Amino acid sequence: MLPQVTPAAPGVRTRPARRGPQRGQARAAALYLLPTSVILLGLLAYPLYQLVVISFYDYGQPQASGAAPLVFLGFDNYVTLLGDPQFWDVLAATVVFAAVCVVGSLLVGTALAVLASRANPLPRMLLFLAALGAWATPAMAGSYVWLFMFDQDFGIVNEVLGLAGHSWTFERFSAFGLVAAEIVWCSFPFVMVTMYAGIKAIAPEVLEAAALDGASATRTATSVILPILRPLLMIATIQSIIWDFKVFTQIYVMTGGGGVAGQNLVLNVFAYQKAFAGEQYGLGAAIGVVMTVLLLSITGLYVRAQRRTS
Amino acid sequence: MRKRAADLACVLIALVVAFPLYWMVLSALKPAGEIQAADPRPWTLAPTLDSFRRVLAVEDFGLYFLNSLVVAVAVVALSLVASFLAAVALTRFRFRGRTVLLVMLLVAQMVPVEALTIPLFFLVRSFGDVVPAVGLNELGSLVLVHLAFSLPFAIWMLRGFVAAVPDDLEEAAALDGASRFRFTWQVLFPLVAPGLVAASVVSFIHAWNDFLFAKTFLISGTDNRTLPLGLLVFFKPEEQDWGAIMAGATLMTVPVLVFFVAVQRHLVSGLGGAVKG
Amino acid sequence: MLKRAIAAAAIVATAVACAPPQADTTDEGADRSSGELKVWLFQEASNGPKEDVVDQAIAEFEAAHDDVKVNVEYLPVDGRASRFNGAFNDPDSAPDVAEFGNTDLAGYVASNGFADLSGDLDQWPDAADLVPEVLDTAKIDGRTYGVPWFTGTRALYYRTDVFTELGLEPPATLAELTTTARAIRAAKPDMYGIAVGGKYLFALLPYVWANGGDIAERDGDAWSATIDTPEARAGLAQYAELLRPDICPPAQCAQLTGSQTVAAFAGGKAAMAIGGDFNRAAVDAGAVKDDYAVVPLPGTEPGSIAPAFAGGNLLGVFGSSERRTLGWEFVTLLGGKEYQRKMYDAMGTMPTFADVQDEIAIDDPFLAPFIETVQAGTRFVPATPAWTRIDAQAVLPTAVQQVATGRQDVDTATSAAAAEMDAAFAGS
Repeated sequence: MLPQVTPAAPGVRTRPARRGPQRGQARAAALYLLPTSVILLGLLAYPLYQLVVISFYDYGQPQASGAAPLVFLGFDNYVTLLGDPQFWDVLAATVVFAAVCVVGSLLVGTALAVLASRANPLPRMLLFLAALGAWATPAMAGSYVWLFMFDQDFGIVNEVLGLAGHSWTFERFSAFGLVAAEIVWCSFPFVMVTMYAGIKAIAPEVLEAAALDGASATRTATSVILPILRPLLMIATIQSIIWDFKVFTQIYVMTGGGGVAGQNLVLNVFAYQKAFAGEQYGLGAAIGVVMTVLLLSITGLYVRAQRRTS
Repeated sequence: MRKRAADLACVLIALVVAFPLYWMVLSALKPAGEIQAADPRPWTLAPTLDSFRRVLAVEDFGLYFLNSLVVAVAVVALSLVASFLAAVALTRFRFRGRTVLLVMLLVAQMVPVEALTIPLFFLVRSFGDVVPAVGLNELGSLVLVHLAFSLPFAIWMLRGFVAAVPDDLEEAAALDGASRFRFTWQVLFPLVAPGLVAASVVSFIHAWNDFLFAKTFLISGTDNRTLPLGLLVFFKPEEQDWGAIMAGATLMTVPVLVFFVAVQRHLVSGLGGAVKG
Repeated sequence: MLKRAIAAAAIVATAVACAPPQADTTDEGADRSSGELKVWLFQEASNGPKEDVVDQAIAEFEAAHDDVKVNVEYLPVDGRASRFNGAFNDPDSAPDVAEFGNTDLAGYVASNGFADLSGDLDQWPDAADLVPEVLDTAKIDGRTYGVPWFTGTRALYYRTDVFTELGLEPPATLAELTTTARAIRAAKPDMYGIAVGGKYLFALLPYVWANGGDIAERDGDAWSATIDTPEARAGLAQYAELLRPDICPPAQCAQLTGSQTVAAFAGGKAAMAIGGDFNRAAVDAGAVKDDYAVVPLPGTEPGSIAPAFAGGNLLGVFGSSERRTLGWEFVTLLGGKEYQRKMYDAMGTMPTFADVQDEIAIDDPFLAPFIETVQAGTRFVPATPAWTRIDAQAVLPTAVQQVATGRQDVDTATSAAAAEMDAAFAGS
């Protein structure tokens, strides 16, 4: 399904089929994949299967601790979820919010990668150190730091802007904006480092050839560099989509569990408040399944769109 | 001339990006009166370790720190070996179902982990009946689940590095009579080391930052608590103790930062390797 | 070896099973009188004094029981749900004795978490002195699952200096409270007339109750929401009226929790606040320590007191405990009169025995308004496991926030809240 996601620059010859019998390779592959398979089958696939099973039951804390009998509900949890107008609101907000975060991280990350490739080593190192610092900051720590910087009374931002007493988390869009800024801050470095590595890997001859042909800078960027970077950009995009769609900590911490009257809920926080904190694990499992399917479809659509354009 | 503009932009942006970290450390060092001041200043003339002292006064802070480190290092080490082998299999061998496996690795990253805590809880509980070291209340249980959650991404990342090693090398090794196994460990492994570093960064963060599973699996017994659990007491904006929150945040960030800076060179060159494919 | 083989077989068996996992909580019936007694207590903001009292109790208990070692673990209140649920799902990890909030009781009992102590209480002479309304918060369906360790009641904190300066009297009714708060903010625009919060449920409840309403009512085994009755709506409207730019602006106050409003009062940002007896230390540590007093939160009529929420923590014995008798003995020691008094001395927590309350009220005028409030009658949240869900989903705070931000009117917001509560009661 995703063969061209392989980060292979064009112009590199495709690998010739290895010599030797196919069966030997399959056996070796099985052996090499054994540790990973055991771990992933046992600790991801099997719990995932159970998650689906749980989503068909009325399964809460009393059921988990064996104090109440299990009741099979069929698709009731899904019906409850899909029939809840709030779910659709939250879904729409999540998609838009995640899209903003993904686009923001990709734009900032790519722009800074280009910038870094044109700078001298020392300033470049400074930029990389700063970016790595942002990347290394745990989500919990980062959320609190940003919240404190934007605190209405004691925050540096209000002091600088002369907005004493202004609350950044009261209005829906301003709260989402603040959280998105924090997310872009801590997720652009991954994009930047990846894209920088990609730019560095472009053979200088290619660029020289473009320059000799009299191509302008923009032209070079769009028709020479971008196609080479496309596979990498695709990896960065898919990873960003997966991460940003599932954002939890930043929203939970910075908007106080979903904002005024739940205005800043995203799916993962919604699942937590609707189901897990209230100990309705069956419903929570259904939300988890729906989220996985949604993410899968979004990623699938993206991959297909990429295939068509390339 | 243009290069100088790029240099300047780099430095300015670096300052902006680093500012939240600076603010975090600065606020952790400010005396209580200055943190609560209505006109915050970007420096302090009276740095104090009071906030850190409050946080470090947590009973057994050192032990929690060590526990977190043990879990993170074990996850990194195990995931390196497993993901390296898997990446080799997925890039250098041809077999049926390869693409399916790749897609599965992607799907594995899409499941919201919060939803999996309940099934994993009961699974880990059953493990404990057979191998106590990976049961509930043990650090081993955390190692196992973080291993599972960091492997898919690590494999994805490593595939590019492994693919970047030219086939000629393997052919030459085969001519020299080296077995596939020896080639894998003695030639391939050192060659993709930078990539391994890059992949380990993500596994490390994953394991180090975890609250969720630590909270779910470590029910009784304080001896196995990890650092985030110990710091949870301070992450309460209600108390308005921003100094302690910032000190706690700093203490959580520093080890990851040290790890990042230590592997920084390999990280960039490593990801570079991924592209040459 | 055989045991391991069986366990391994069990894993395989569960793996192929097609039903969600369940813990097996069949009681093994053991009741040992020696060994390690594991105790969970909550970690307070400043835990030192509490630990000192508990350590004394442990020393006394261990001296009286040979071969018994009491092991206390302090849990952060915030992460309690996952720890308790974990303990219910895995009896091997469970403690023998635990402190827990009385609002969590119904949910815990539904999970078979705690042992029924009704019989033991009958045998315990001191139990007769427990304040009946407080003891009620430890009961589900007539059975008692814990000994009330201390209670928490809220009353009205106000700034004596501000009131004197502006020539104001403490309000005699809730309506007067609103006008007083408005007048203060008009005179002192930097200050909230009263610090209230959109997430401060226990400040909202007295308003609902004082107006003659309730959030839900019980009919036999079934509960139904009554937050959409005219009385309850009037209460919620009166509370939301405080979240206005001319008293406590929604931009600042809509997201505040109880502790945050008290922090605002302690920091001098508010002229009044609804705080508990347990908030005394926090206020005394703040900027206003010499300039405040407390009166009962008034009702709708002059001279009346708004019914307060009967908050408090209980000490119970885990259902899965293998040292039930020993656990009960420890509960009666730590939850008994002597150590409740010591807890009061160390932490300022209000005892649950009427005679101990009377004893401390004599030398501590601070407590008078709180005791007056308790004696005027306290109320409680619905004692059903559904409450956990209603609370987690922030149903009532959301209604207050919708009204405070002007996005919904009181009728719409309360109808929506009632629908969500009824869904939770129905278990769907």
